[in-house]
Amino acid sequence: MSKGSAGLLLKNLLKGRVPPPGLIPEALLNGFADISSARSHLSGLTNIERLITTFCHREPDHVPCFPMISGAGRRLTGVSYSEFSLKPEAAAEALLAGFDLIGGEAVVPMLDLSIEAADWGQTMVYPEHSTPHPDYADPLIRDVDGYERLKRIDFKKADRMQAMLETCRILVRKVGWKGLVSGFAFGPLGVLNMMRGANQLFRDCVNYPAKVLKAIEVITEVAIEYVEAQCDTGVQAVALDTLFASWNGLSKELWEKIEGPFARELANAVRRRGCIVVVHNCGDGVYFDSQIRFMEPEVISFARLPDDCRDRKELKQKYGDQVVLMGYVDTPLLSYGTPHDVMEECRRQIEDLADGGGFILAPGCEFPPNGPLENALAVVKAAEIYG
Amino acid sequence: MTIEKGNETIVRDLAEAVRVHDERALHELFDDALTSGITAPEVRRALIGGLEEVRQNLMSNNASIPDFLLSLDRVTEGLGRLSRFRGYDRNSVEDTTVVIGVVEGDPHDLGKNVIAGIYRAYGYRVFDLGREVSQEAFVKATVRESAEILALSAMMSTTMVVMRDIIGEVRAKSPGTLVIVGGAPLNEVLALSYGADGYAESALTVLEETERLMAGS
Repeated sequence: MSKGSAGLLLKNLLKGRVPPPGLIPEALLNGFADISSARSHLSGLTNIERLITTFCHREPDHVPCFPMISGAGRRLTGVSYSEFSLKPEAAAEALLAGFDLIGGEAVVPMLDLSIEAADWGQTMVYPEHSTPHPDYADPLIRDVDGYERLKRIDFKKADRMQAMLETCRILVRKVGWKGLVSGFAFGPLGVLNMMRGANQLFRDCVNYPAKVLKAIEVITEVAIEYVEAQCDTGVQAVALDTLFASWNGLSKELWEKIEGPFARELANAVRRRGCIVVVHNCGDGVYFDSQIRFMEPEVISFARLPDDCRDRKELKQKYGDQVVLMGYVDTPLLSYGTPHDVMEECRRQIEDLADGGGFILAPGCEFPPNGPLENALAVVKAAEIYG
Repeated sequence: MTIEKGNETIVRDLAEAVRVHDERALHELFDDALTSGITAPEVRRALIGGLEEVRQNLMSNNASIPDFLLSLDRVTEGLGRLSRFRGYDRNSVEDTTVVIGVVEGDPHDLGKNVIAGIYRAYGYRVFDLGREVSQEAFVKATVRESAEILALSAMMSTTMVVMRDIIGEVRAKSPGTLVIVGGAPLNEVLALSYGADGYAESALTVLEETERLMAGS
């Protein structure tokens, strides 16, 4: 353990914060997980004990759960979507309300996917009751030459990214030892998508890869600063959204060429700060193998099966030892299923994926912002009962 | 005999140019095709044949969405030049009318654009209303065009709920129209609960789903 890590570890403990797990020597973490797993037969674990046991691939008292209440939390505190997205205090209050009411072991501020793009200058739309999004009629990158015109921005003056950091700071302070707080950042190709539009970006990745790569390089430089700053707020993990590493995005070969190396840089930046690397990818046919090779994540949050698995038993067999699997309750089910249906689906997933630890029950993507909150409660309850 | 063989080669190469989305080759082949006397239906069949191969590859995960988009671009360009060929008759192919759009509040139109392109390529008459389309605009266009198919897309769980109202009003004002819905937050159960006749799991399955509905099964 280096002097720097020991200092950071101590600093976090003195501030009453859960230290990033990467700062703790692996042997110590495994020993702690062994003891927690053994103790779970006698009594319930705390949220942090349960998570560490799971991250170390030991069986906890029950599977942990991230209900991924983000935009839905604003309905608990009565704020509009734009306030939620733009005001750190309002966002943190809504997220904490979701954490307190619904439960689970972690809070993830998935405010929206346009934070970085907005700071690069993309014109935005902030609807009252729906997720903010770029004004696709007014893309920042209008033609293929626009990629090379994209200039580095001053991260310290980036309003939305700074607001996200403030949200993380408040969450870390208020959640304390009750649970884990994760940061969140969109992968560089995702950011570019918000400034160019998928219709054109997909074509450009094939026809003008060199131009696209120029923009990706510039975006990644700022993104590294952004994720490092998220880590410095005291979060224990950072989720990196690499949607395009799936059938919904590029071919595997093209993703490995266009985004893979840059996603690796982002993941390394998170890891250097001792934080857990979470890959979030809610696409269909996610390229687990590529993302593991490039990003070496501790956790993969997914909504559909990977491209190389026929069912979840194969998923567990193939990847269960390599990463913590986090998922994957279907959005339509959460939107319109009954709580009973949701619990039944959770039970089936737990039966197939929880054996031996290394599984976190969660929605495949953010809990539907306008979805019925009793279904989020059903997910948490299912983890407690069936996990 | 020699000419026929030449035509066969051109037709085969046209399909290949679509499959590998080679813009330059396609332009050259079009010039060759014009001088060789190939008919419009033959050219159409070649273009669709190339696209169909990419579509099948994409469905079996042996091609990617960018590949398909670029092949679709080539077909769209090719169909735009079809009127220069002998035997061209627009009305002979465009016999089914589709009104398509993304629901109000939703700016995500990639899937809708792909589906509109597929419908056009496969000979449907398409009225693309764009994205963030109001209920009124959907109903108006469906009635005005006497559409056989209304295709609705939503990519956000916050916006998909309006589909139920749109379908309800279309049912009342244009009872013969079949409604197909699609988008990431939907599934078949949800689609049918909204009152839709069909659900396209992806842009790639929309043709089969449309044909199934049109056949009344």
